[in-house]
Amino acid sequence: MMQIRIQKNLEGPSGPMLLDLDLNIEKGQFLTLYGPSGAGKTSTLQMISGLMRPDHGTIYFDGQPWVDISKNIHIKPQLRKVGYVFQDYALFPNMTVKQNLVFALSKNSSSKSIMDIMDIMEIGNLQSRKPDTLSGGQRQRVAIARALVQQPQLLLLDEPFAALDLKIRLRLQDYLGEVHRTYGLTTILISHDIGEIHKLSNRVVSLEQGKIAKQGTPSEVFVGHNLSGKFKFKGEVLHIEKNEVVYIVSVLIHNEVVKVIAQGSEIENLEIGDAVMVASKAFNPIIYKIQ
Amino acid sequence: MNRLRGTISNIEVNGNLSLVTVHLQPPLTLKTIVVETPKTAAYLQIENEIDLLFKETEVVLGTAESPNISLQNRISGTIREVEQGQLLSKVLLETKWGGISSIISSNAVRQLGLSKGMNATAFIKLNEIMLSNT
Repeated sequence: MMQIRIQKNLEGPSGPMLLDLDLNIEKGQFLTLYGPSGAGKTSTLQMISGLMRPDHGTIYFDGQPWVDISKNIHIKPQLRKVGYVFQDYALFPNMTVKQNLVFALSKNSSSKSIMDIMDIMEIGNLQSRKPDTLSGGQRQRVAIARALVQQPQLLLLDEPFAALDLKIRLRLQDYLGEVHRTYGLTTILISHDIGEIHKLSNRVVSLEQGKIAKQGTPSEVFVGHNLSGKFKFKGEVLHIEKNEVVYIVSVLIHNEVVKVIAQGSEIENLEIGDAVMVASKAFNPIIYKIQ
Repeated sequence: MNRLRGTISNIEVNGNLSLVTVHLQPPLTLKTIVVETPKTAAYLQIENEIDLLFKETEVVLGTAESPNISLQNRISGTIREVEQGQLLSKVLLETKWGGISSIISSNAVRQLGLSKGMNATAFIKLNEIMLSNT
């Protein structure tokens, strides 16, 4: 439903760089752009939203041309049905939460939609507060709400949770997943957080030097192969200790530390701080309700 | 992690589960059950080459080749090395299909009298084998 074929000469971290993308995005897809700083991720979002003009190419959304440089078509950002959320909130500081949302309301939508969105983001109790009295997590919830008030079909998020601590980040990811589903959005997220990417997205496009280096499901992109283990978590190695004929590897997964028994051959290339996948078959774990 | 390579020779699907039969050379059949089907996992195709992964701690060792037990994945070989710890020991089995390590209690090693050069059979439960298509 969205076809992006764009080229843009950019100033990369190591000199001039050509951003050259050919990307089709299905309706309802949750796509993450991943890659090092300066790979062209933010520029891509800016060109989709209309804030930056490509040098060449086309962007079609549901068959409508948003961009066709050869025909001199470049429709304004406000005419594209796009919600944009940045890392640094960008709320109006002199307005309350509700005023911020009302300001963003598109002409043909009702204030009822504001109530619904405040409900789903759980910010109703913050509506008469000014942004500078809110925590970072609250502000980012308001920023997402404000993007949704515009009834976008496409939601663009540029590292929205990067500045927040883990606990808040995990909760905001839940909110984001919920609004993506509830409003049937197509979402493009920029993120470096592999846990976040696995949790939210069904497709990852990895950019390097302005080109698509890899794409696929998060498992295909980050694991490199398919493994039938259903009990799989990404984590970080904290500690490795030899015990008798085996090694005990402590791994941080989200905010829990788990221990894995490993063999010498498995830990040969493993160092503290390495990202690892912990996998087991779905048959092994025991499940019980906690009272 | 023990790793053996083979070719998928049969896939029996029921609901979300697949019973996958893998053929190794020289002829040996191993079976695994996975929570995937050919619809959810592209690598589940007959004649696909696949790696079988199983943890050392899930390998049962026996000195008789065909005891009356439910474990049908059986791989016979010769013990190449026994590394004994106080509680656990690692037994390295040399087989026609590659090396297989087993971690069992040191007590069991003593009780079975496992030592270098002896014949032994590795048994692996159906649900302990993972598939990987690297």
